[in-house]
Amino acid sequence: MYNIKKIDSFHWEIPASYKPGMKVPGLIFASEALIDSILKDKAPEQVANVAFLPGIVKYSLAMPDIHWGYGFSIGGVAATDPDKNGVISPGGVGYDINCGVRLVRSELTLKDIKPKLQDLINSLFNNIPSGVGSSGNIRVSDKEESEIFVKGAGWAIKKGYGVKEDLEYTEDRGSIEGADPDKVSDRAYERGRKQSGTLGSGNHFIEVQEIDEIYDEHAANIFSLFKGQITVMIHSGSRGLGYQVCDDYVKSMVRCLSKYNISVPDRQLACAPINSEEGRSYLAAMKCAANYAWANRQCLMYLTREVFENVFDKSWKDIGLDLVYDVAHNIAKMERHQVDGKEKILCVHRKGATRALPPDHPDVPDKYKETGQPVIIPGDMGTHSYVLAGTRGAMNETFGSTCHGAGRRLSRSAAIKKCRGRQIDRELFQKSGIIVRAKGRSTLAEEAPEAYKDVTSVVDVVHEAGISRKVARMRPLGVIKG
Amino acid sequence: MIPYEIIEHTADVGLKVNGTTLKELFENAASGMFYIVAHKKSSANEHKKIQIKKEVEDFEELLVDWLSELLYIFDSQKILFSNFKILELNNSGVIGEAFGEKIDPSKNTLQTEIKAVTFHDLKIEEDKNGFSCKIIFDV
Repeated sequence: MYNIKKIDSFHWEIPASYKPGMKVPGLIFASEALIDSILKDKAPEQVANVAFLPGIVKYSLAMPDIHWGYGFSIGGVAATDPDKNGVISPGGVGYDINCGVRLVRSELTLKDIKPKLQDLINSLFNNIPSGVGSSGNIRVSDKEESEIFVKGAGWAIKKGYGVKEDLEYTEDRGSIEGADPDKVSDRAYERGRKQSGTLGSGNHFIEVQEIDEIYDEHAANIFSLFKGQITVMIHSGSRGLGYQVCDDYVKSMVRCLSKYNISVPDRQLACAPINSEEGRSYLAAMKCAANYAWANRQCLMYLTREVFENVFDKSWKDIGLDLVYDVAHNIAKMERHQVDGKEKILCVHRKGATRALPPDHPDVPDKYKETGQPVIIPGDMGTHSYVLAGTRGAMNETFGSTCHGAGRRLSRSAAIKKCRGRQIDRELFQKSGIIVRAKGRSTLAEEAPEAYKDVTSVVDVVHEAGISRKVARMRPLGVIKG
Repeated sequence: MIPYEIIEHTADVGLKVNGTTLKELFENAASGMFYIVAHKKSSANEHKKIQIKKEVEDFEELLVDWLSELLYIFDSQKILFSNFKILELNNSGVIGEAFGEKIDPSKNTLQTEIKAVTFHDLKIEEDKNGFSCKIIFDV
């Protein structure tokens, strides 16, 4: 199938000869056990399709949490070279631009939180706007919105929704340079205005967790993590604003395919040269949405800290609710990478993949220079989540990228069918004591643990393959979902 | 002929849509999309006219535009649509009407947030029974 060739225990190649038009081979990171389910999905076809992109460098890559998406597979990574007519594709980022996760630590342990857990989860659920099309209490004017587009999380800090240190521990310090609000349509503005500080729906969540395993004491210590510690994970993105930015530019780039004589097997891979008017405009607009998402996660963390303060009757600083790190997992960025011994600036698309910078990389905060960048990997709501650290292996093999989560195994409708007649929240509580609150009627069934691959087997692949390494594991205690 | 049915997609949601005419295909696609959003029929006291002018070689682009426009109105004006009428459809655009009701999203009556209509695998096919296509939505 797909002429797949096993390179070693964790590398599987789709040769460029699989489909005429592929410019490079595909490379999937997976174990023997995972590759079977990956090959049953349509995702490898999408890995092959991405290899058609003009200017793609080395490989069309796929992380072990790869699954069928649209255009790119989810778990796809592709770097393109602007000097070789390399393109940028909105489909290689996705609609939820800078969907990502942040991990907040605390000084609390299970015994502090246990008596108040129900109260805490209810309070998070009642105070953090979530659900389909939800709008929030943080309302902004047009002028302020364009400030968010440029300053990202820095805007939120200026408004008092956090402290300067939060920026230090956010990828790109919470804003990428080069965002141009003029490249964002009126519609995107309109959709963004009402949704700052909202969680959204589907797989977005806020989860209260306990660290139940440390794999690397030294790194954990530097990340200020310890066994038995309570952490909070926040997963959200750029909401309606990002969807509209992507939508606007996919439509304009569908027209670029004939204009620039680009041939791709799926129109969702619509793209334009990075060095074209359309390419530059998309990148400038995408940065606005990415910055908005960082501001959004910062606002969500602010609301979370407020809830903790009320429930524990202490300031968040006394509770130690500091940001460990915030990572994007749907984004395209111009980054420096070595190609054939030469440094090049490439456009790295990560669609459901996380940046994983190695020790001593200039973009890693000083505190983490020794360990490499913290990589936050959410699992499903019934099992575990992980903290990993970036490695040199990732820089050599995957343009500094790793997996982003468990990856879906079942479609949403298959999950609903499988869970018919069951009460997932009650099951999770009875089996593991996990408290779950969700807005949407079908969210729980769609997001049931069995809908996902086993996150541990995904994380084990990236660890064994050397594209990141395990630092700590968390188990869920309570979660709110949209 | 089944107007639409939900099809399996690992990460997202898909529809298989049928129509005896292209106009009907567009109407049924919109009905299917709002079925995914709410799983119910709304009343029809709100009415919107949608007009998209665009020179196209094929109708896939217009179909995505038509559905995206409805999604945008739903998201920005909170109107849940359930009845659709295509008045004009040709190589220079589409004119249609949509009927629905204002909703309060905080009342949790909605099922799924559709982020966008994608072009992935989208191909309108014609056979002796009429037209059909698959549409994948990002959810």
